[in-house]
Amino acid sequence: MSLRGNCLIFVFFVINICAFVNCDEGTSLDSGDQVRPDSPGLPRVPSSLLVDSFVPLSLMSSFPEDLEISNHCLELLSIFSQRYSDYVKCLVPAARPVRVCTKCYSGYGSLLNAYMNISSDQMGPSNESCRDSLMRSDRLMLVYVLFSNMQDLWEKSNCDFCITEKFQGVNNETTHFMKNLNQTLSCFEKYQQGNHTELCKNCKSSYKGLNELYSSMEKTLCIDVEDAMNMTRILWSKNFNCSMPRGETVAVIAVSSFMLFLPIIFYLSSFLHSEQKKRKLIHPKRMKSYSSLMNIQDKRS
Amino acid sequence: HLDYDNSENQLFLEEERRMSFTGFRCLEISRWLICGLIGVLTGLIACFIDIVVEKVARYKYEAIKQNIERFTEVGGLSISLILWAVLNFSFVMVGSILVAFFEPVAAGSGIPQIKCYLNGVKIPRVVRLKTLVIKVCGVICSVIGGLAVGKEGPMIHSGAVVAAGVSQGRSTTLKKDLMIFEYFRRDTEKRDFVSAGAAAGVSAAFGAPVGGVLFSLEEGASFWNQMLTWRIFFASMISTFTLNFFLSISHNNTGDLSNPGLINFGRFESENLNYNLYEIPLFIAMGAIVLGALFNFLNYWLTIFRIRYVHRPCLQVMEAMLVAAVTASVSFTMIYFSNDCQPLDSEHAEEYPLQLFCADGEYNSMATTFFNTPEKSVRSLFHNQPGTYNPLTLGLFTITYFFLACWTYGLAVSAGVFIPSLLIGAAWGRLCGIWLASLASIWADPGKYALIGAAAQLGGIVRMTLSLTVILVEATGNVTYGLPIMLVLLTAKIVGDYFQEGLYDIHIKLQSVPFLHWEAPATSHWLTTREVMSSPVTCLNRIEKVGTIVDVLSNTSTNHNGFPVVVQPSKLCGLILRSQLIVLLKHKVFVELAGSRLTRRKLQLKDFRDAYPRFPPIQSIHVSQDERECLMDLTEFMNPTPYTVTQETSLPRVFKLFRALGLRHLVVIDDANRVVGLVTRKDLARYHLGKHGLEELHLAQT
Repeated sequence: MSLRGNCLIFVFFVINICAFVNCDEGTSLDSGDQVRPDSPGLPRVPSSLLVDSFVPLSLMSSFPEDLEISNHCLELLSIFSQRYSDYVKCLVPAARPVRVCTKCYSGYGSLLNAYMNISSDQMGPSNESCRDSLMRSDRLMLVYVLFSNMQDLWEKSNCDFCITEKFQGVNNETTHFMKNLNQTLSCFEKYQQGNHTELCKNCKSSYKGLNELYSSMEKTLCIDVEDAMNMTRILWSKNFNCSMPRGETVAVIAVSSFMLFLPIIFYLSSFLHSEQKKRKLIHPKRMKSYSSLMNIQDKRS
Repeated sequence: HLDYDNSENQLFLEEERRMSFTGFRCLEISRWLICGLIGVLTGLIACFIDIVVEKVARYKYEAIKQNIERFTEVGGLSISLILWAVLNFSFVMVGSILVAFFEPVAAGSGIPQIKCYLNGVKIPRVVRLKTLVIKVCGVICSVIGGLAVGKEGPMIHSGAVVAAGVSQGRSTTLKKDLMIFEYFRRDTEKRDFVSAGAAAGVSAAFGAPVGGVLFSLEEGASFWNQMLTWRIFFASMISTFTLNFFLSISHNNTGDLSNPGLINFGRFESENLNYNLYEIPLFIAMGAIVLGALFNFLNYWLTIFRIRYVHRPCLQVMEAMLVAAVTASVSFTMIYFSNDCQPLDSEHAEEYPLQLFCADGEYNSMATTFFNTPEKSVRSLFHNQPGTYNPLTLGLFTITYFFLACWTYGLAVSAGVFIPSLLIGAAWGRLCGIWLASLASIWADPGKYALIGAAAQLGGIVRMTLSLTVILVEATGNVTYGLPIMLVLLTAKIVGDYFQEGLYDIHIKLQSVPFLHWEAPATSHWLTTREVMSSPVTCLNRIEKVGTIVDVLSNTSTNHNGFPVVVQPSKLCGLILRSQLIVLLKHKVFVELAGSRLTRRKLQLKDFRDAYPRFPPIQSIHVSQDERECLMDLTEFMNPTPYTVTQETSLPRVFKLFRALGLRHLVVIDDANRVVGLVTRKDLARYHLGKHGLEELHLAQT
């Protein structure tokens, strides 16, 4: 070939050697170094290799075949990583006020899908199970642990109560609740300035309706609804100070003092009227001649 | 009084000759069977009480809670107060009527009566079926009625009654005789079974089988042998297992054996609640707090007042109703005026949270202590996170509940004092824990201090050391706390004994029961039998006229139960009991009729056993004028070898003999074997070591 061909071959060699050197560096990275900011769950791979698909290097072919991860599995892994990062990107902003169910349910759905693909028992095209090679090969079990955490959060939030089957959307109950909530909040906003007693009076019915709706949903709540209700309650009781005041203290004190008085009357009357029950003492029959009785004190009880 | 000592008369020797070896083996096996049966029945009774209380209390609390919630907004909470008071006093009225009018012996917790029984003193009607039924119904009514009481103490009494009934193989109340276990129809055997029953009761109440065995040991100390201990342990274990099993069925998780007793303290995990060495002096200091002695003191004067002035049944019922109403109103008022609001912990799903005037989502924290059964409150105090309780709330609760509990004990209702004392102690213990944590900024888990406080308070009130330590250790399920609990109980006993005795001992003394302690009072060795014995003694000749016997027995001024039998001139040859004489008179075993008696069968031990335990009084035996002239030969029926002492024997020696052998009469003879006096329990129980040396008390006639 001409000079161009030689240059191409030379460039190809250089690229490979650089890649090989960086590969070594990559495996000895500490956590925190060279991490791309928007993909925290990603396995540590040298950035030069970081594209959407993993290109197996010709150098890798020198490793034994058993340790090699097939293309198919690597692809599944990358899908999982992408969906994971998307889900977390949705979750964290929804942390306060808590809206993890209603905002991020589709993300969770796709994440679940990706995980199911990895952990299923089906054999891939090259007749191997991705589950064993990706999830069970080391003691860290990173994929499993990361997904378990997300699944845990989902279960603890009881999100299944708010979302319809197969992550299609938010169910009717929750939407109804959210509608009521918005009404109440808009009522709050209307009367927010000035004296809160007006707010307490005017918004009382919608707040009460909201409370009743909440109690009817008591067993099938997700965290979104729970938190929204909590915040509303805090607004109502603490900020606007609309709680019920203590009325009729006088009546309660009167009744209880009457009850406390009765025993005193009872004891006084029984003291004055009943005859005291006298006790007959048993006198022991003794031989009378011994004077050592002086040492013993007679106690009449 | 119990005749524990066996009367080895000729009839007894005959029976023993007749019984074969397999007969004795059968007896032993049937003893084990009876103990197992006692355990099962006691467990079932405890289960029944627990289930009924739970179910009915739920209705009551739900009703009151709904009423309060309805009236909180629109006003009219005084109606809720009245409703609560009415519910309380109606339940208590039922319970109190049962006790005051039908069976007064069922009042209180029953532990003093069982202590007396194991000591050898039989308070009348204490182990009857009627007493059991009234006790069970009474305790259910008292607990549902919201009084400051517990349901654990009456379990011990119930266990003892079950044991006394089952071991006899018949029921005198129901007039059914199953013709089994006839060998056991005497005081010796019955008392052993009652020890097993008491142990089974303790074990069912607290989930503490070993504690139950030790309780029986501590109370009926001296008549111990290994087989008896083994059988008692067997009964306790069966009892707690039965209770556990049936409670798990009723909670719909069969086989989950997590309720070993009526009171469940919850699990104390050792990792979280370790204690350090420097905390031990703190614990001992908590044990020295004399609230227990104060409780006893106040209750003592209150009981004296009640004995003197409130002794008619209708007055007693009214008093109980008033206490119930006041308990309700005090609780309600404290809840009403409390400003302490806390959000609900997720573990408290089964309680009855009251919101009252708190913000939405928060609940009145005073209500979680007052508006609940005491067992659940104790559990919460032991296990809740630090910060759940406001110190002010706890302090007010302690003071109020202390006075309520002190007022309630001694009423004519069936109720125990264990749980109220634990609750008071847990409350102020937790308070100490909170105070220590704020003072020294050491990490003091208030739950641990609550446990120590509860032990200190209970020890200060009942002054039981050994059995209580083991009961508490078993109830907490953790031996780690054994050392602090033991130290605290010892301290409480030492400090409290300086002031007065334990609550049960006070009540025993107030009822003038001749209770014998473990040992004779110290410094009494100079007292000899001559000064202690009763003299002169009513003796009977070996061949005595029926008329004399009838007169002696009918003499109401001296209610003797044992008569030395003498041959001329007043030489001792045996001892005969009143019960035996009555059976002889009933069957007309006269010398003159011996001839015609050959056609009828000879009197056997069975006839004595059939008349046991309720021997007819002498008034119901009819003796004609002719029969009065007949003679009766006591040789076959008397105990030919009664225990004797001489006049010079010191008091501690006599005491030891009495206590160790369970005697009821001890004949005092001189050097010529002549009867000079008789020592009975009443003679020995008078002597106490008081503040000014040895004192002699006068016992009242009961």
